[in-house]
Amino acid sequence: MAGLELKSLRKSYGEVEVIKGVDLSVEHGEFVVFVGPSGCGKSTLLRMIAGLEDISGGELFIGDKLCNAVEPRDRGIAMVFQSYALYPHMTVYDNVGFGLKLAKTPKDERDRKIREAARILQMEHLLDRKPGQLSGGQRQRVAIGRAIVRKPEVFLFDEPLSNLDAALRVDMRMELSKLHHNLGATMVYVTHDQVEAMTLADKIVVLNAGVVQQVGSPIELYQCPANLFVAGFIGSPKMNFVPVTIESVGAGTVTIVGKDMSPITVPAQTSGLQPGDEVTLGIRPHALDASQSGAIVGRVQLVERLGNETIVSLQLPSKADWLVVLDGDRQLRIGNSLALDFAPASAIIFDSSGLARHPAPQALGE
Amino acid sequence: MTAIMQTGAPTAAKAVPVLKRRSPYPAWFFLPAAIIYGLLFLLPTLASLYFSLTRWTLFNSTFIGLDNFAQFMREPFLVKGLINTVIYAVITSGLKVVLGLALAVLLTSQIAARGYLRSVVFFPVLVSTVGVGITFTVLMHPTQGMINEGLALLGIDGPGWLVDPNLALFSVALVDVWKGVGLATVIYIAGIVAIPQDYYEAARIDGSTIWQSFLYVTLPLCRPATVTVIILSFIGGLRTFDLIWAMTRGGPGFASDTIASVIYKQYQAGFYGLSTAGNVVLFVLIAVLVIPLTMWLNRREGHE
Amino acid sequence: MTLIRRYWLSALAIIFSGIVFLVPFSFIILMAFKDRTQAQLLDFSWPQGMHLWSNIVEVVTTRNWMLLTAFINSTILTVASVTLLVIFAAMVGFVLQRRKTRFNGLIEFLILAGLMIPPAVVPTIWLLQGIGLFGKLHGMVLVEIAYSLPFSILLYRAFIATIPREMDEAAIIDGARPLDVFFRIVLPLLWPVTVTNIVVQSVAIFNDFTNPLYYLPGNANATVQLTLYNFQSQFQTSYNLLFTNIALITIPPLIVFLFFNRQIVAGMTAGAVKG
Repeated sequence: MAGLELKSLRKSYGEVEVIKGVDLSVEHGEFVVFVGPSGCGKSTLLRMIAGLEDISGGELFIGDKLCNAVEPRDRGIAMVFQSYALYPHMTVYDNVGFGLKLAKTPKDERDRKIREAARILQMEHLLDRKPGQLSGGQRQRVAIGRAIVRKPEVFLFDEPLSNLDAALRVDMRMELSKLHHNLGATMVYVTHDQVEAMTLADKIVVLNAGVVQQVGSPIELYQCPANLFVAGFIGSPKMNFVPVTIESVGAGTVTIVGKDMSPITVPAQTSGLQPGDEVTLGIRPHALDASQSGAIVGRVQLVERLGNETIVSLQLPSKADWLVVLDGDRQLRIGNSLALDFAPASAIIFDSSGLARHPAPQALGE
Repeated sequence: MTAIMQTGAPTAAKAVPVLKRRSPYPAWFFLPAAIIYGLLFLLPTLASLYFSLTRWTLFNSTFIGLDNFAQFMREPFLVKGLINTVIYAVITSGLKVVLGLALAVLLTSQIAARGYLRSVVFFPVLVSTVGVGITFTVLMHPTQGMINEGLALLGIDGPGWLVDPNLALFSVALVDVWKGVGLATVIYIAGIVAIPQDYYEAARIDGSTIWQSFLYVTLPLCRPATVTVIILSFIGGLRTFDLIWAMTRGGPGFASDTIASVIYKQYQAGFYGLSTAGNVVLFVLIAVLVIPLTMWLNRREGHE
Repeated sequence: MTLIRRYWLSALAIIFSGIVFLVPFSFIILMAFKDRTQAQLLDFSWPQGMHLWSNIVEVVTTRNWMLLTAFINSTILTVASVTLLVIFAAMVGFVLQRRKTRFNGLIEFLILAGLMIPPAVVPTIWLLQGIGLFGKLHGMVLVEIAYSLPFSILLYRAFIATIPREMDEAAIIDGARPLDVFFRIVLPLLWPVTVTNIVVQSVAIFNDFTNPLYYLPGNANATVQLTLYNFQSQFQTSYNLLFTNIALITIPPLIVFLFFNRQIVAGMTAGAVKG
């Protein structure tokens, strides 16, 4: 039984702080995904958990053990690297068994464990090959095999699917999900791909510039992003934003108006908001629909027809570029104007500091 | 004060001693090499700075200031060695660059027996310098030597390669080039082979001739190879000893003495302080010539 | 048209290379077959009679089997120096490439200095005498290591840069200690550049004349290059023996050349492509 506990964890290289105090607790058996743009510190955080980077401040608990100064081999972790990092001069069998050999595991026990791992990953036929003779997907399996053979408490994955082609990535994603289900171990997974994060995670940690932006389940993050960054990062295509002005504040609602739209009333948490405040309106591309009487009108710039849906790029009068996803196949002409409407509950108001003003839960429930 | 208290208190409560793991790249891996290198190379080099200022018998040394260096500037045969060293280095490195590049271009073109030619050109690099020196001393014999006999067949009266004081240094330099051009050639071949074929194809489509392709594609793009060849053969030329010693012992007279052979002669004669001063002179000469040369070669590269 | 020109060029190159490069070597071999009187003529002629074996016997047995002793000395010197050199240089190259500290600049400076600065011979002799290693084979081994380290370290460091750091990290996660990481993961992966190092440095040390001349005086510890140099004055009138000696000491590099041509070229051209 081992979860993870990060208490105001910090990492700095000289003057530069790259991890600025991360607090996080992970239950045993959870699948946690660190996601964020490149350079946000997600890999550094993972490597601090692994023990490959020194911890500059704060505390790291794996299970109940304070692990700040514990050698990687004694942390009960295993790691799968982006490049797989298979030892090219060893066979698959020796690659998987290297850790056991270093731990001086008796030969027959080692053999049993290696074959067991190979069976789980369906790679028994590969055991005698060298990494150079394997395909990308097979190497990926060996890298995972090397991790599971050690029976770690915590699995760490550093962008493990980013070197695979698109089709294989989807397959391996499902296999990882199954593996997590079967092993029941804690897994921490780093990716910059928000689709991977959404599909794999029990819990997503969104990082930006060394700071945790939001922690929550994938659906929570999608429906109730905490701020502009999370709203823009989670969800594909990206959420549309437009600056608006508050016209009036009601009970749990605000009426907003802007250059691009006629006044419209949307639910929001209103404390501290006043008429005349500059705020940002966010609406997901899927929440918009074409409507003759729509509040927002834009000019069609580009139409991508996928058959089941149509993705339209619009330019609003304020020159903001929006994306709209319409159901079914639509024939639209470039240069024509298109009026859009949306359900007020699907709109999110972000205040001037970028924080989301989600209405109180009862208002959301309706 | 209060501000410090406010910010200080919460962190102090949570303060954890920052514990460091041991690096997986231990510094003691440097140790064996550092001891050997420090003791047998760095220490003598530093000691030479002192002993070059002394009259020295290995057992005791008398400080005589810059006398040894003054002697180097004054004694004609020592000055001659200094000048010869620079001439030798310039000739050998210059010829190696030109001939090495020409041979490399030839040996990367569509020519028959490429493998054979590359081997033949390169093999002398691996042969004992003393052996080469002795062989060419015999081949360059003024009357019986094969070179002059060959020239006589063509009706040319061959010179006294190693016995003519005006020629001896150049003759040795030619043998140095003979032995070392293979290295320059393989370095150039590596540089030329690394040039992507696309550039040549693009140049051809732009209508360039073979000569223009060489001038505007090969030459600039194998600049790293040129830098390597120049630096390598220039330093080698300045330090050269074994070939000169095997062929002329610096003779006739002092005609082909270089600093390195002077150092050995002074050592043999027991003038250890003077010999060590020679070392320092050579060191300074290399530093003064090679460092600006390197910087110049690399600066040009940076601009492109 | 171009085909004909290409043939002309090839023929010209082959003939020219033959005259310039093959004739001197053929000359050495022909001389080794001749007897004393014919060798005296120093000409490029076919040997009258087959005297190679008697020449070899005479060269080898001269001065109480000195050439044989020299071959043994040279072999010990080369093997011992290169073995230690390879291990020490790989260790330095590894840590130097992997670990960035403020000392790296200094270390790199010292390495470049070692490539440029001519060794200070007399102070080295003074030092070797001080520690009782002057004129001794193991002293010579240490000197050869010291002089060869910079080049070998640079070769290793360049190669180690191509081994992804994730490889070490995977081993660390697998439980490897620093020595395991180096000896079980990194050193095996360095094999190609190790071969290059071994071959290049073996040839250089076997052929080294200057340093043994200074640091190994006397006959007991003479190397093959020194014996050749000594024979030069002794065999002033017996060119057949002198050239037999040259032919004999050219055999080891020839063997290395035949088997490891590729690695030698790789080692010597490192740096030609990228600064």
